[in-house]
Amino acid sequence: MVTPVIELSRIEKEYPGVKPLDRVDFAVRPGEIHALLGENGAGKSTLIRVMGGAIKPNGGSMTYLGKPVSWQSPKQARAAGIHVIHQELALFPELSVAENILVDAQPRNGLGLISGRARHARAAEILAQLGVRISTHAKIDELPLADQQMVEIAKALVGEVRLLVLDEPTAVISGHEVDLLFDNMRRLKREGVGIVYVSHRLEEIFEIADRVTILKDGQVAGTGPVGDLTREEMITKMVGRRLEQIYPARRKAPAGGPDILKVSNLRAGHRVRDVSITVKPGEVVGIAGMVGSGRTEVAEIIFGTRALDGGTIEFEGRPLDQRRPREAIRNGVGFLTENRKDEGLFLGLPISANVMAPDLAGVTRRGLIDRRGERDIALEQIRNFAVAAPSPEVKVGNLSGGNQQKVLFGRWSRIARKLLILDEPTRGVDIGAKVEIYRIVRNLAEQGVGILMISSELPEIIGLSDRIFVMSQGHVAGEIDGASATEEAIMDLAVRSIDRREGKAARLEQVA
Amino acid sequence: MSAVVAEFRRNRLSLSYVIVVALLILLVVAGGFLSDRFLTWRNFGNLFQQLVVLGMVSLGQTFVVLLGGIDLAVGSLVSASTVFIAHFLEWRPDLLWLALPLALVAATAIGALNGLLTIVLRVHPLIVTLGMSSIIFGGTLMYNKEPGGSVPRGLADFSYAKLWGTPVTAIVLVAIFALAGLWLQRSRSGRSIYFVGGDREAARLNGLPVNRIVVMAYALSGLCAGLAAIFLTARTGVGDPRIGAALTLQSITPVVVGGTVLAGGRGGVLGTLLGVLLVTMLNNLLNFLNVSSYYQWVIQGLIIIIAVSIHTTKRRQ
Repeated sequence: MVTPVIELSRIEKEYPGVKPLDRVDFAVRPGEIHALLGENGAGKSTLIRVMGGAIKPNGGSMTYLGKPVSWQSPKQARAAGIHVIHQELALFPELSVAENILVDAQPRNGLGLISGRARHARAAEILAQLGVRISTHAKIDELPLADQQMVEIAKALVGEVRLLVLDEPTAVISGHEVDLLFDNMRRLKREGVGIVYVSHRLEEIFEIADRVTILKDGQVAGTGPVGDLTREEMITKMVGRRLEQIYPARRKAPAGGPDILKVSNLRAGHRVRDVSITVKPGEVVGIAGMVGSGRTEVAEIIFGTRALDGGTIEFEGRPLDQRRPREAIRNGVGFLTENRKDEGLFLGLPISANVMAPDLAGVTRRGLIDRRGERDIALEQIRNFAVAAPSPEVKVGNLSGGNQQKVLFGRWSRIARKLLILDEPTRGVDIGAKVEIYRIVRNLAEQGVGILMISSELPEIIGLSDRIFVMSQGHVAGEIDGASATEEAIMDLAVRSIDRREGKAARLEQVA
Repeated sequence: MSAVVAEFRRNRLSLSYVIVVALLILLVVAGGFLSDRFLTWRNFGNLFQQLVVLGMVSLGQTFVVLLGGIDLAVGSLVSASTVFIAHFLEWRPDLLWLALPLALVAATAIGALNGLLTIVLRVHPLIVTLGMSSIIFGGTLMYNKEPGGSVPRGLADFSYAKLWGTPVTAIVLVAIFALAGLWLQRSRSGRSIYFVGGDREAARLNGLPVNRIVVMAYALSGLCAGLAAIFLTARTGVGDPRIGAALTLQSITPVVVGGTVLAGGRGGVLGTLLGVLLVTMLNNLLNFLNVSSYYQWVIQGLIIIIAVSIHTTKRRQ
């Protein structure tokens, strides 16, 4: 029996009224990738913060490399070789790669001044270890997210690393970037580093992890080798009940009638080169493809937040001319953006104001906003979409990610009588909320709304879509029928042209 | 008035107001003990008269701050407007009906220009309005270096008129605040200020006419500066190119003390009104106590920092 890198036993953490960790046992062996699963609020981040020294547990004990420890600060844990990489990267966007990597350990010259040359040499050495080619002189904000993540991992390698904790590292990257990350995780694993891996994507866990621990309401709901559990068993343990079916039933017959949206030969900058897509009323059309393949840009062009260079957009058979969000909204088009915090919600305002934002005219009577009408609509949407909130006056910033997403559905489902565009609708949302969102999307389609859904999660695209367009480098690489689609078929289309150009163009696009 | 009451009722648990109201009560009680002239009807009449100008400018500032901006041109704009009004009326005292609307239109237009410049040039409002302030100040001095001009009796009387022992100007001010509160809470354009201030990108995605709302908020700030100038000219009887200089920074104090966040999207006019009352009452009391103006500055500085830090701590919880 090898000594675990870290072993937590009966760890408890309690705040007034909540107990995010309740007698949790957790151990990571050297050279092991240990997946940590659980819904939002299950205690994953608290557990990570206990390991990283950011919070002190109220009870239980922790041993690190065989010795009992009790971290007084994150700095102490880091000095001992524990590195936590959070979802929000802790990088300085205006500084160079080298400065970021050696942020805690700037090499000095004989005069005690920071030596630029030594810094770049040392940073380059570490990046070479990771097998990535990133200029040490580049500024962080010039890099694609995947490279930024590598810089974050490189920071961990400056000192000795024995335990690496990755919190949802794949939420913002896709395709070959995920492969690169996994290659590096495997390399570190061979060197004997213990890795804790948090992800919502079950497929990845089967691909990369050796063991898995599932948290539910602050307790360990199950732990063991990954091969011992099926996907369904993992989900059941995570949500605490059996989910009969994750994806609602697809349409029985292909949608008929005229197209509600017809996009032809769309061009915009170098990201969107030639895109033709159609959506019919009542169908869910998926757009798959790598991050940077132009998916989001197409959605933005349709909604009117991005200019186009060529091509036509027909809505209900008529060309759209003004192309502004206001016109789209008037036409019955809604857009749930990828980044709900930055681009969709007013976090400081109550649910009611957030729901009504695009439709103030709808509750204005004789020039004044009808407060009761507004409240009633908000209440109705809270009920319709099962938002966990005591009243419409609750500020949206105080809701969980899944509930924020439901507020957005509450807003746009009223507006989107014709077409609803969804960009990564389940990002950062736990499995229970995901299932609810899938049901909502299918319900809207059954009411006759056309749905255009962008997603990086292939099972979601396949499970929900009636038809799937696969994008690659600004082109539609192919169209697949949803019922017969496979992940292989989609990936084949998504990477085909990237192989031809060695992925260079796609990477450049992300930099821009 | 009902709007102010409604706003107050909805926010009655909001600590922002509780803090300011508590400070006000403390001040009144302390004032009653420390000076026998403070808690008199007569003093409060004077006090209300004094706060009208600051109240008006702060109201305009509130719109802009709610939007996430700032207007550093209000002081110069008030000065310039008093100069315009007083000189125009010295020339043609009979054209009062023309002079005042003209001043308001010009002030509103300059405010709108501020907003337009922040959009077109994409320069931070701090810079745009700072530059504009300097331009207006210099422009005014080119024509008038010293206080001058005069106002007709009617306007001067208005400034000292009382209704049931209360200055008419103060009643007008409260009415304007009530209107502003109603507009912010219950009209589409007013509500839009919160959306744009809360998150400009999100506002655009929700189909709101962002640029129009920005220009409108700055225009309203200009309009308020123009109204303040009318009150001020009526009271002093002259146009003074330097009279508004201190108002720029003074106008920000009641806004932030009243709980409106500099980053935009949160706050309201009731807080500003309470903030104006607090600041004016404090200075009034300190005057009675013969505290030197140096100390008054120090105390006012402390109030700003303490009040805003309490708001911030509360919000973080």
